[in-house]
Amino acid sequence: MSVPAPALVFVVDDDASVRKSLARLVKAAGYEAETFASVRDFLARRPYEGPCCLVLDVRMPGLTGLDLQEALRAAGQRLAIVFITGYRDVPVSVKAMKGGAVDFLTKPVDQGTLLGAIQQAVARTLADRRQQARVTEIRNRITTLTPREAAVFALVVTGMLNKQIGSELGIAEKTVKVHRARVMEKMRAGSLAELVRLAGEGSVLAAG
Amino acid sequence: MLSLVPLVRRTCLALPALLSGSPFSPALAAAHDPIQSGDWVVWQVAAGAVLILSLLLLGIGLVLERAGRRRAEVLLGERLRFETLLSEQVATFSRVSGVDVDRAIQRALRRIADFLAVDWGNLTEYSDASQTARVTHWWVAEGVGPQPSAIAFEEIPWVVTRLRRGELVRFSKLEELPESEAAVDRQTYRRLGIKSQVAVPLTVEGVVVGALAFSTVGTERAWRDEFVQRLHLLGEVFANTLSRRRSEIEGQRLRQDLAHVGRVSTMGELTASLAHELNQPLTAILSNAQAAQRILGSERADLAEIREILGDIVEDDKRAGEVIHRLRGFLKKGTLELSTLDIGELVSQVARLVSSDAIIRNVAIRLELTPGLPPVCGDRVQLQQVVLNLLMNGLDAMRESGEGERTLVLRTSSAGPAGVVVAVEDSGVGIEGADLEHVFHAFYTTKPDGLGMGLAIARSIVEAHGGQLDAKNNPQGGATFSFTLPAIEKEP
Repeated sequence: MSVPAPALVFVVDDDASVRKSLARLVKAAGYEAETFASVRDFLARRPYEGPCCLVLDVRMPGLTGLDLQEALRAAGQRLAIVFITGYRDVPVSVKAMKGGAVDFLTKPVDQGTLLGAIQQAVARTLADRRQQARVTEIRNRITTLTPREAAVFALVVTGMLNKQIGSELGIAEKTVKVHRARVMEKMRAGSLAELVRLAGEGSVLAAG
Repeated sequence: MLSLVPLVRRTCLALPALLSGSPFSPALAAAHDPIQSGDWVVWQVAAGAVLILSLLLLGIGLVLERAGRRRAEVLLGERLRFETLLSEQVATFSRVSGVDVDRAIQRALRRIADFLAVDWGNLTEYSDASQTARVTHWWVAEGVGPQPSAIAFEEIPWVVTRLRRGELVRFSKLEELPESEAAVDRQTYRRLGIKSQVAVPLTVEGVVVGALAFSTVGTERAWRDEFVQRLHLLGEVFANTLSRRRSEIEGQRLRQDLAHVGRVSTMGELTASLAHELNQPLTAILSNAQAAQRILGSERADLAEIREILGDIVEDDKRAGEVIHRLRGFLKKGTLELSTLDIGELVSQVARLVSSDAIIRNVAIRLELTPGLPPVCGDRVQLQQVVLNLLMNGLDAMRESGEGERTLVLRTSSAGPAGVVVAVEDSGVGIEGADLEHVFHAFYTTKPDGLGMGLAIARSIVEAHGGQLDAKNNPQGGATFSFTLPAIEKEP
């Protein structure tokens, strides 16, 4: 494996023996494992920065797996989830998958399926976090723009020509050119195409 | 012969007159002495003969009369004893029920057969399906060989036809059976060694369901009319008793079937939670086993860990087994089994059965058990069914209640010295006034997918246990269903 440190798998299930056995299996497959008896217990743990994923029971007394998924999303935490459940409940699985779950597995779950999903989930967590880091970076760059530059940026990425932007903002085409060069520099974009991509990744298009 | 008695009586009444004119009267003899003649001698001889004859007849008459009276007395006594015997049977059969019926019929057959001095008394049941008269109860005199347990209709066609028409059959000897029509019957009786028989039909609601028969084997036998008539009455008593028992058994079976159906349908509602209960240990077992496989496949297999894993697998397997055991015990379709029960333990078990269902529905079940309650007597499974039904209803009632507190309280308490109370209190929508009157009626339901049998069955179970099941709305919202059960008195 090229992964330097083993990924950490969080197992949240109210059933002690299920929890224990899943942790054992996951460890035997080369991961680290941490178990939690409830959603609350898990939420009390400080977020883990390294590669990880969550194996989550859907139905538990108190807060459910779906509640946790919602809470993580609300907190902006990127942690890929593999749901496991004792029931084939279509509405719940649809909700979980729409919420970004990697998989929705029915108990008893075979190791091949589970470990495959875990591997995928760890990769998803990493990718999501990279993506998140990039968005953060792009947004940081955007914050360095002056209001006028930001306005020019928003219009440039819609495909407007400098002349059109000038008349839109009520400034000279020449001035637009200057702002545009600044934007390219601050956003570290080598081309218009790259600038448009950065705007997309930073979800600033809608804001324009 | 008895017609002689009046004659003798008349003769006796005429005697004094005859004597007054008797030739042996000394006064008369003296008076007639002078006219001695041959006529007179003839008269004298004739008179003497008449006198002797009269005395003789008188004596015979007296003897006969006494014999006749004695005979009448004996007959009357016999008849009285038979009447007494029959009325005893009638009295017995009006009281017996259930399992005692068979024994009572057996005893009655023996006593009557004894009284009638017959060799074989039996009760047969006609089966149209198999076209046989099956012997259900019988009595055989000592020394008489075993008798058949069933006779095909075709073996005694004439007898069966008559009995089925509601007529009785009586013959003192086989020759009394009609020559051609009863030829087959005769042959059968000859084969069985039956010489005489009296049989009366058993009629239930106008239908002949069988027969009561008494037979002699080996000897012929005359049957007295009055006994035969009385046997008719006995047949009616037997028939009524048997039909009553049949409906009792039927009713009991129906109740048991209904209770079973109730349990099965309740179980259907619980399927999701049961699947969950089984899935947990199965999941743990599978993951543990596969973890062990991986550990064994690795370079440094840790035997201590493998041992620990195997221990856990065994535990989880037992746990799964318990779920199935509990389920099977609950769904078992059996007869009523009465035992001494701890009501707190019983309700706890049921609460465990629905616990995962409650989690799914986001309802907390709170047990409020009063310690030290007296034991109750009842059928564990049926009482569990009642509690389960009330809990499931409670969970259903809270389906529509909002996001607020969803708690189902299961409470046991004392109902004074007489018994215990089990109450299920929900915080659901409560019962509307109109529904409150009907909730216990069969096929009455407020649930879209309900059958409306649960509470009706529950109430019948509770009442069969000598208790009472009631429903009321709580002042703070929701409803409470509670039932009482009589306690077993503590041994001093």
